[in-house]
Amino acid sequence: MGKQAVTKVQAGAEGTGNAEEAEALPNAPRLELVNSPKREKILEGMLEAVGAEGYEAASVRTVLARTGLYRQAFYDNFADKDACYLAALSMGIERLEAIALRAAASEESWRGKLRAGLGALLDRFDEEPDFGRGVVVEVHAAGPEALARRAEAMKKAADFIDLARLEAGEGEAPPQIAPEGIVAGIHAIVHSRLSTGATDGFRELLPEFMYFAVLPYFGTEAASAEMQAARA
Amino acid sequence: METPQLPRAYAVRSERERLLEAMVKTAAAKGYEATTVDDVVEFAGVSRETFDEMFAGKEECFLEAYDAVFDVLVAHVTAAFEAADDESWPEQIAAGLGALVELLAMEADIARLAMVEVTAAGDDARERYRAMLTRFTPFLEKGRTYSGQGEALPADTARFAVGGATSMIFDEVRAGRGPELKRILPDLVFAVLMPYLGPEAAEDEMRRVTRES
Repeated sequence: MGKQAVTKVQAGAEGTGNAEEAEALPNAPRLELVNSPKREKILEGMLEAVGAEGYEAASVRTVLARTGLYRQAFYDNFADKDACYLAALSMGIERLEAIALRAAASEESWRGKLRAGLGALLDRFDEEPDFGRGVVVEVHAAGPEALARRAEAMKKAADFIDLARLEAGEGEAPPQIAPEGIVAGIHAIVHSRLSTGATDGFRELLPEFMYFAVLPYFGTEAASAEMQAARA
Repeated sequence: METPQLPRAYAVRSERERLLEAMVKTAAAKGYEATTVDDVVEFAGVSRETFDEMFAGKEECFLEAYDAVFDVLVAHVTAAFEAADDESWPEQIAAGLGALVELLAMEADIARLAMVEVTAAGDDARERYRAMLTRFTPFLEKGRTYSGQGEALPADTARFAVGGATSMIFDEVRAGRGPELKRILPDLVFAVLMPYLGPEAAEDEMRRVTRES
């Protein structure tokens, strides 16, 4: 029975078998489905639904309405709304990380990387504010596991920001808490703007974000110059 | 012999206060989601009918309890900030933050409710939370004048400062380290002062606070 299920799923993945039927089998290997387009569509629909409607109001039904998929497709992949949101949050965070890293890759300096990476993130919020709300704002309603996932992402961002230490002069290094404060402060401003239902104006925040990030490592003059440069 | 009657208004107020206090305690202990109206009335020793007369439901009671708790917090911080009126602005900020962590460390329930549970209690509560945080803005914005930078500082400087500090407090309280919150006072002082004064002046004040604590 188990063997049969594996065969069917693989056949489905190749487009020659009946994937719907295979996904419904209890012994079907879940790993095969991780990157399925249907699963990804549900995850995207979940973030948009939660972002647009709020975590409590969003439901499996509203997610399906956005994706045009059937109930079965949802329950083949997720036990319930909470499980789906956690997976969607992880995907959303990974996408944001990938966007920032890709934009930063072509830059040499810490400052250049930060400006490009942060700028790309803010562009994404301007393009898809509901996606942004789904990842950044509604995470609070989704419980401790979701908050832990967010904390992990913020730690990563803080570690990146703290690479500035390598470029800062001797004796200029700020206290250990500095990067965490930068990430939390920037996060608070983005969070606040997304919460008010804003659909644009995120990119315009880049100059002040650069000011706040550069300030503890390089001082007031460098931060002001960076803010001016980012405004241009 | 006639039993002396308490004025009706007194009884009403005290039942209401008991319900609000019960909401604070229960939501702090069990989490907002898991708290029921029955838990609250049982803890308060007040009838369900009375609760229903006073509040439309759990959320309304929570929001009122939350407002009451935050009023206490703001009054406490304001008093400390104003008592340090003849000190410099960084010292006033350190005094205000010191009062904040002291109160939150002593009142674990208040800390839990005000900093953590509020974010789980729905859109209205989160909206209220954001509005409450802006009540600290006037203390911070004096830093524009003190730093001599005025409007040259980014528009969102206060939000950045408060965001950094509240996130640190949130993490500590959520991890159950609320009672030792005083330990992070130097970090909080740095996080709030740094955007206004730059790293060196913020670190000087951070060191002063570390020495004194």
